[in-house]
Amino acid sequence: MALLEVHDITSGYGELQILWGIDFAMEQGQLTTLVGSNGAGKTTLLRTIVGQLKPWQGKVFFQGQDVSRLPPYTKAEMGLIMAPEGRQLFTDMSVLENLEMGATPRRARPRQAQNIERVFALFPRLKERMHQRAGTMSGGEQQMLAVARGIMSEPVILIVDEMSLGLAPVLALDLFQALRRLRKEGYTILLVEQNVRMALKVSDYAYVLAKGKVDRSGPSRQVENDQEVRRAYLGI
Amino acid sequence: MLDMLLPSIVDGLLIGVVYGLVAMGLTLIFGIMNVINLAHGPIIALGMFGVYLLFTNTGVNPYLGLLIVAGGGLIFGVIMYFVAVHRVLNAPHLASLLSTFAVNMIIIGAGTVVFSTNFRNVDFSLGAVTFGPVTTTGARVAAAVVALLVTAALYLFLRRTRLGKNIRAVANNRKSAELMGIPSSRVLAISFGIGAMLAAVSGGLLATIQPFTILSGGVYELKSFVIVVLGGLGNPVGALAGGLILGLIEGIVPVFMKTTWVPVLEFALFVLILLVRPQGLFGARQ
Repeated sequence: MALLEVHDITSGYGELQILWGIDFAMEQGQLTTLVGSNGAGKTTLLRTIVGQLKPWQGKVFFQGQDVSRLPPYTKAEMGLIMAPEGRQLFTDMSVLENLEMGATPRRARPRQAQNIERVFALFPRLKERMHQRAGTMSGGEQQMLAVARGIMSEPVILIVDEMSLGLAPVLALDLFQALRRLRKEGYTILLVEQNVRMALKVSDYAYVLAKGKVDRSGPSRQVENDQEVRRAYLGI
Repeated sequence: MLDMLLPSIVDGLLIGVVYGLVAMGLTLIFGIMNVINLAHGPIIALGMFGVYLLFTNTGVNPYLGLLIVAGGGLIFGVIMYFVAVHRVLNAPHLASLLSTFAVNMIIIGAGTVVFSTNFRNVDFSLGAVTFGPVTTTGARVAAAVVALLVTAALYLFLRRTRLGKNIRAVANNRKSAELMGIPSSRVLAISFGIGAMLAAVSGGLLATIQPFTILSGGVYELKSFVIVVLGGLGNPVGALAGGLILGLIEGIVPVFMKTTWVPVLEFALFVLILLVRPQGLFGARQ
């Protein structure tokens, strides 16, 4: 069984069904990406995986265990960590305090100090700003902090939602490279992106979501060269 | 008149620190979960009775009794959170106002049956204390010192401990806190417990300096609203400053006018602040 498996999930908000039977799997050590246009259901799928939404039908398996109905904090404790869309930092707290909050899961606490050094090495900007209030930083720095806070939790899977949204291309590129580096260090990452081109470039395996269903999936190289995908998402 | 002014200022500052603590639980709970706890006053009264009963019936030193009252307040708050607050947390404000008001009525009703509304006082004296030209009671000085210590402890707790930081994280962004593995309901319950604990302890302190009834909490709840608006709703440090301002008004005004003018001026200030600077003199939640 794969590290994370989603079986035939349907989900949505109130009366509004967004996901129409999604099957999805992620392997250890890979950078998997989930791409698709706005409203395709990417964020809804993530929210169902981490437990902010309960699936209407279907199941989520994490490390072989059925976690479909567990609340987000229990899943975080197990190592399913999300750096949420729009960053969602603790804006009134300092950068350092945000990182400490990342180290909440019991697995992550003993190595809190080492992990802080590690994320400061990955994002030196955060070290310069460590006593600054998170809400007063630039968008790019806040996004770095969101990813860094996720790393602090010692994720078994790190889910990064809409990382490049609203960022200048140069900053976005830095962040994609940081993810690439994390992947080399052995992290398992799920990247959800509206920047399809970059997402396919840095990932190993890709799922294309459309209208609440998996439209295509396969190794990223292969998806990148798919005529349909090129026309629909890459404008070629 | 001037030789009356200095003692009045000292007395005002001493009681002002205690007032700051009185309001702190109210502002803390609001700052963390956006709930105005209308049972704040009766919890203060329960704290008064806690210290009083422990002292009168079993001879427990009132300052030692405060520790027991603090524990009781914490437990009461956690239970109250799950019974009356948790389910209405995401409902419109009116729902939590009504449910906490219901708790208010229950405490007052039951308290009146059990204790009647006769005045009580804790018959325990620490004598008089003199600094230079000013003489005041030891109980007032002790109450101010305890209130300052509790305030400092709260500040350090919120800034330095993991649980304190978890509380601030949940206050700041509940969803994100859950994604980091922080169980927000448990943290909110503890926060509410701490708010109730602060109210109960402040009641216990007031009982050592003034006579009271089961209804006395209402007076202090009203004062708390003035203080909280002065200091900025949701800002515990602002509450201390607001308490000092209120204490000073109560100390100084009687030197120049009849004491009955005190509440008039206090509430005139309340309305003025709401009109001119609704975020409070020191800004809303920090």
